[in-house]
Amino acid sequence: MRNDTALDLRWPAKFNEIPKEVFHRADVYRLELQRIFAGPEWHPLAHVAEIPEPGDLKTGFIGEVPVLTVHGDDGVVRVFANSCPHRGTQLKTCARGRADKIECPYHRWTFTNRGALIGAPGMGDFPQDFRKEDYGLRVIRSGQSCGLVFATLSGEAPPLDDYLDDTGEHIARAMGGDGRLNFLGYQKVSFACNWKEYSDNEGYHGPLLHAAFRMLKFSQGEGTQFMTPHAHKVNSATLTVPKASFLEDSSVVEGRDPKLAPHNIIVSLFPVTIITRNLDVISIRYAMPISPDETEVHYAYFAHADDDADLVKHRVRQASNLIGPSGFISLEDGAVFNRLHVGAHSEGNVGFQKGVKGRIEAPYTLDKGDEAGNLIRWEHYRQAMGFVRD
Amino acid sequence: MIDGETLARIDALQSRYIRALDTKNLAAWSDCFGEAASYICIARENEEQNLPLAIMMDDSLARIHDRVKYVTEIWAGTFEDYQTRHFVQRIECVPRATDLVAVESNFLVAYTSARGRSEILVAGSYQDEIDLGHGEARFRAKKAILDTVTTPRYLVYPV
Repeated sequence: MRNDTALDLRWPAKFNEIPKEVFHRADVYRLELQRIFAGPEWHPLAHVAEIPEPGDLKTGFIGEVPVLTVHGDDGVVRVFANSCPHRGTQLKTCARGRADKIECPYHRWTFTNRGALIGAPGMGDFPQDFRKEDYGLRVIRSGQSCGLVFATLSGEAPPLDDYLDDTGEHIARAMGGDGRLNFLGYQKVSFACNWKEYSDNEGYHGPLLHAAFRMLKFSQGEGTQFMTPHAHKVNSATLTVPKASFLEDSSVVEGRDPKLAPHNIIVSLFPVTIITRNLDVISIRYAMPISPDETEVHYAYFAHADDDADLVKHRVRQASNLIGPSGFISLEDGAVFNRLHVGAHSEGNVGFQKGVKGRIEAPYTLDKGDEAGNLIRWEHYRQAMGFVRD
Repeated sequence: MIDGETLARIDALQSRYIRALDTKNLAAWSDCFGEAASYICIARENEEQNLPLAIMMDDSLARIHDRVKYVTEIWAGTFEDYQTRHFVQRIECVPRATDLVAVESNFLVAYTSARGRSEILVAGSYQDEIDLGHGEARFRAKKAILDTVTTPRYLVYPV
């Protein structure tokens, strides 16, 4: 069988093996931008808590396509291409900002924050058939779940609710039950790895890589771990957190949210976004592929609208210590992402073993501590990319 | 006006701090802080927008001691190590109270990977409060504000 792409790449017949080439080949990366990032997938761009007021906006990327998420003065949040419909100039360069109007600096074309063209200098000299209505900001299809704004570059993506499968209740629980959040800030980092290495984390490594997991004696209780048909992964379990006696100040690892007993909730949406709730830390990790060899991750953190001042302070302290690129139970992830990427330049395939009992299909429930679920992500990836098994 | 002897004591503390970090002596790093102390490393983006979230937030000497434990015990043997060189330039010293001085400095931190390549890790400014009243000068509060909002690698050591 031939791949239905022009790429010369052999995909192993064994279901649990992945060719290392996909982690660094430039031609594979270009095809991913077309078939996955511009393909029929939805991409979280911002939570409304990051742009709470009319006029607030946030820039971002879907793959390498620059986008603007704008809270319009009519209260509607829209996603636009961050590119002037005239000559294509990038419109906004700030990470987050405010704009009553959006003006392109090049020729001063000006748009409302709902995206309509207000005017352009010298319009009297434009072609007779020029119509302002045709030159609004390019609208990108968007939708919301629990206040999280998603967008897709593809007309073929299923409706957002269908796409999210059964992740909804877990996303809601991670976000305080209803997604009424207040934004606390970002941590941003670049990893020297491919986006698929960044997003290939699983439950097997947790207590093995992360010494703090063992030292804190975290133990997962009631919960579930499953894969959905659109290759999303949900890991949600209660957490027993003994007093951290090895720390001088263990208050940063206490669970204090009166509305949710300590939980570990990780919703990994295909392809790269991860929504987490670890103890009282509410976080969305937005990730952007920069090249085959670099992935930039923005960790956004939130409090819940009903929190009192003490609980907000606790969430800030916990988020600034526990999770994230320099978090004391998570820093090692970054080390492994980078080391995976160096190792991927050696010959052959990577193999998944823990929990693999033959070929699996979604929906699929995993034992906690297994890595087999990621094979459903990989099967979704293989099919989207048109690679054919040997 | 701050006299020369006071400036010398402030600079001695800054040098002690730099040497501690650039020799990876985390115990010496924590010894640069007094009994009432805080260390915060935060992205300028958050700082300027009044967003409280930090990259490192040690709001007591106990938390500072715990950070030493993160680096030397919890993460040991896992992370890709790197060598730093801190370059710090004092910009302003303002007396705040008896034996308490607010000091602002610029910093540039170079890092060298195990492969021997050197690049800039972070640029930014320190906002410090230095206690001169208990013998050797020590930080009462140190805030490293990173212009480098997106760090080129994960930070292991304090800045």
